[in-house]
Amino acid sequence: MDFGRPQQGERVRLRMRNLYILPTRFGWLWLAGTVLLQVIGVQMQSNGTLLLSFLMLSLFLLTLHLTHFNLQGVELGCGAPAPGFAGAPVAYPIQVRCPGRSEGVRLRLAGEAAGAPFSLSPGEHALTVTWTPPGRGWHKPGLLRVQTTAPLGLFCCWSRWYPEAAQLIYPARRAGPVRLLAGASAPMAGEPAVASRQDGSDDWRDLAPHRPQDSPSRLAWKLLAQGRGEYAKRFLDQPDTAPLLAPDPGVPLEVALEHLSERIWSYHGQGLSYGLVLSGQSIEPGRGMVHRDQCLAALACCR
Amino acid sequence: MSRAAAPLQWLTMGLLTVGLLGLSPALSLSLLAFGLAVLTALKLREARSLEERRVVALLQLVGAGLLAALRPELGPSLLQGLAILMALAGLLALELGAGPDWKALMRRSLQVLVAALPIALVLFLLLPRLMPFSSLGSGHGMGAMTGLSDSMDPGSIARLAVSREAAARVAFPLGGGPPPLEQRYWRVLVHERFDGRSWRSTAPPFPRPAAGQPPAPAPTPAAPGEGIQLWLVEPSGLSAVPWSGAGRPLSPDLTPQRSGELLNRAPGSQRRVYALTRTADPGDWRTEPPGPIDLVLPRGENPRLEALAAGWGRLGSDRERLNAAGSWFRSQPFRYTLEPGALPRQAPLDHFLFETRLGFCGHYASAFTTLMRAAGVPARVVSGYRGGQWVQPVGGTGYVDLRQADAHAWSEVWLQGEGWQRVDPTAWADGDPLATAETSGETATGTAPWDWLQRQWWGLDIAWARWWLGYDSEQQQALVQRLLGDQRHLLGLVVLLAVAISLAASLGGLGWLGRRRSGDTLRLELEHTLRAFARHGMAPDAGETLPVFAQRLTQRWPALGDPLNAYVGNYQRQRFASTPSRAGRRETRRLGRALRRSLRTGNLPKEAVQRGVPLNRRP
Repeated sequence: MDFGRPQQGERVRLRMRNLYILPTRFGWLWLAGTVLLQVIGVQMQSNGTLLLSFLMLSLFLLTLHLTHFNLQGVELGCGAPAPGFAGAPVAYPIQVRCPGRSEGVRLRLAGEAAGAPFSLSPGEHALTVTWTPPGRGWHKPGLLRVQTTAPLGLFCCWSRWYPEAAQLIYPARRAGPVRLLAGASAPMAGEPAVASRQDGSDDWRDLAPHRPQDSPSRLAWKLLAQGRGEYAKRFLDQPDTAPLLAPDPGVPLEVALEHLSERIWSYHGQGLSYGLVLSGQSIEPGRGMVHRDQCLAALACCR
Repeated sequence: MSRAAAPLQWLTMGLLTVGLLGLSPALSLSLLAFGLAVLTALKLREARSLEERRVVALLQLVGAGLLAALRPELGPSLLQGLAILMALAGLLALELGAGPDWKALMRRSLQVLVAALPIALVLFLLLPRLMPFSSLGSGHGMGAMTGLSDSMDPGSIARLAVSREAAARVAFPLGGGPPPLEQRYWRVLVHERFDGRSWRSTAPPFPRPAAGQPPAPAPTPAAPGEGIQLWLVEPSGLSAVPWSGAGRPLSPDLTPQRSGELLNRAPGSQRRVYALTRTADPGDWRTEPPGPIDLVLPRGENPRLEALAAGWGRLGSDRERLNAAGSWFRSQPFRYTLEPGALPRQAPLDHFLFETRLGFCGHYASAFTTLMRAAGVPARVVSGYRGGQWVQPVGGTGYVDLRQADAHAWSEVWLQGEGWQRVDPTAWADGDPLATAETSGETATGTAPWDWLQRQWWGLDIAWARWWLGYDSEQQQALVQRLLGDQRHLLGLVVLLAVAISLAASLGGLGWLGRRRSGDTLRLELEHTLRAFARHGMAPDAGETLPVFAQRLTQRWPALGDPLNAYVGNYQRQRFASTPSRAGRRETRRLGRALRRSLRTGNLPKEAVQRGVPLNRRP
């Protein structure tokens, strides 16, 4: 059962107008069992069988409402989706706000397998659904289906929604050739090597009088303990001969971008510096998460 | 799917299997139940997916329903109810994710079941009953079980005389004690055919209504003064069922025969429940004149017996012949025994009457009836039960408990102008058990606690049979009549309305149960108290702590200062206590109640006075 007008927008509140409910196949089977018991009860004039048959009928009526109450009044909203890589399952955050207890709730994005059902207590919940994005760039995950069959599986109550927030998808990581533009930050001719030296955090270089804005971790505790006053250590980042990465002209652009994605990921893992040169833009060499994400985002949005 | 799902479903299977154990395999429907149970177990064994496991739960429910039709007694019904509860818990376990354990599942299952019960009861009580579509399905049992036998040959009943198995119970729900012990003859079979050795009944073993014949009209319910005998008869394999010989049937299954047998259409391999009025019908079997069969006697089998009877045959009236036989029996040294030994094939009754003079009821009834026939008095042997113990369970309806050991045979003779008269020749013998029972009192047997428990249980069983099994089409009609009177056409509307109301009540109840336990009790108590203040327009501001808010409240209602301080102090102690204690929670609740009470009593009068000021200034 997957029909009904999908909802649009950042947030959606599930109510009578956008919740659909129908008996499941098991529900129809249950009704058939009820009829069978009714026939047996009438035929044998057995009160117990008749009562059980009516009990099953009344459970059917009751669960119609209980199943609907599971989703009634639930508010769905988009979280801020973290970027992910194409070709692999990506988590997409969903904010759920339940007015009451919701049982057996399943979230499923179009084309994906349904996750395990979970019970939600009243209040705010941050959930994730996984999906496999088709390629790089900004993507919306498509149709989200929220459904429940709890408590007895007789009815399926569902609603459909297109979450509005787009998720940035980096190119898939695939090992392969990458064009390295040699030693972009190696000292160039005529430029003093010192010029490239910059304050950093790697090597201890010098001491300087401690300023209040200096981190306590840089305080030269030994000197302080010796009573020689407050000094802060000064460190120095070693200038790298960081390569500039660029797409290999020998392979198609999309494939080259995937190779670059993998290379950036592995350089980041090894703690190496790198820069990026793409058609129309270049990123100075650097390191760290922000730098990596900046490079990957450039790859994702490259035309 | 919860981990508890598989054990729950297997446990349900076990319960259903236990319920199957007592079924007689002769009924076609019980074969169906066996088959269904086996299939369900196989399905449960191979089921992997959610869908299949759901189907297993449904099959279990259907199986329980089938069992309910086959075993409607109290004990099996309790077992079936438990099986239904467990099957539902199994189904819930499939849906509710991995979280809840089996205890929570059982609780939830019970909640859902109880919530569904009102609607089911409304439908059950008010919806008009359908009649069975045809007579298929109700298969008849084969093979007689222990108990009375269709053919009575003195010697075949000895085995029964020692069995303490339950035979039947008769209760008098509308009050009134049992008949006196010497009047307790419960007739079952009338043996009219005599071949010189054995007496056979003429009743058809299993009466079936003729195909084209319209079903018998439902009997009219008992009039207020008539009283009711409610019978519960254990499986006997006979279609004839015990009764006192008087009374009008209240169940459509019953048909009294002209011979004085009461036939029940329900299969004899099942336990049967039926009701009769207590009062006698005027045109009953007692005044049915005898047929030629009641005088049939193979001549020459017992020459001494015939010679003795021939002397009585010359007496003037039947009554005199009967009296002569009675005085002869009393003058001979007859003795009652359960082990009389076998009678010879040649002239067995002569041997009994003139040589051994030892026997049990069958011997006496058989010999006396033969004597009467030889003397020209229409006579026949009747078998049934005699005596029975009166049991008064705690807080229930009293009943007469009949065991197989109470099986008995006696004679009936036709006296011109008086009709059929019961004669019990066993009573003339020395050592008759009934006479012994009369002298020694009724409580001679069964004083063990186990017997006591069993009697109480049977008392419950009788109540169950009366209130639950006895609720049939007529009862339903009577209920509707009482509820609606002449407005019967409104029944549909009333049912719909009642279903809607019960549905709303059930949903409300379930919602209340769901809300009740959410969150920690301390917080719930605080919110309860805050709501009380919010009704007076005082709510904590954003970021306002509880003590600050309490100060603000104290400024408005100075009288509340003390209870507020106590409440806030206790709340904070409990909130930040390393181990929350039950006593602490109770204290919080107590203080909260005290605070709310002083808010109600201490606050409202003051405001009333303020509002009342202009009134007071009126001239």
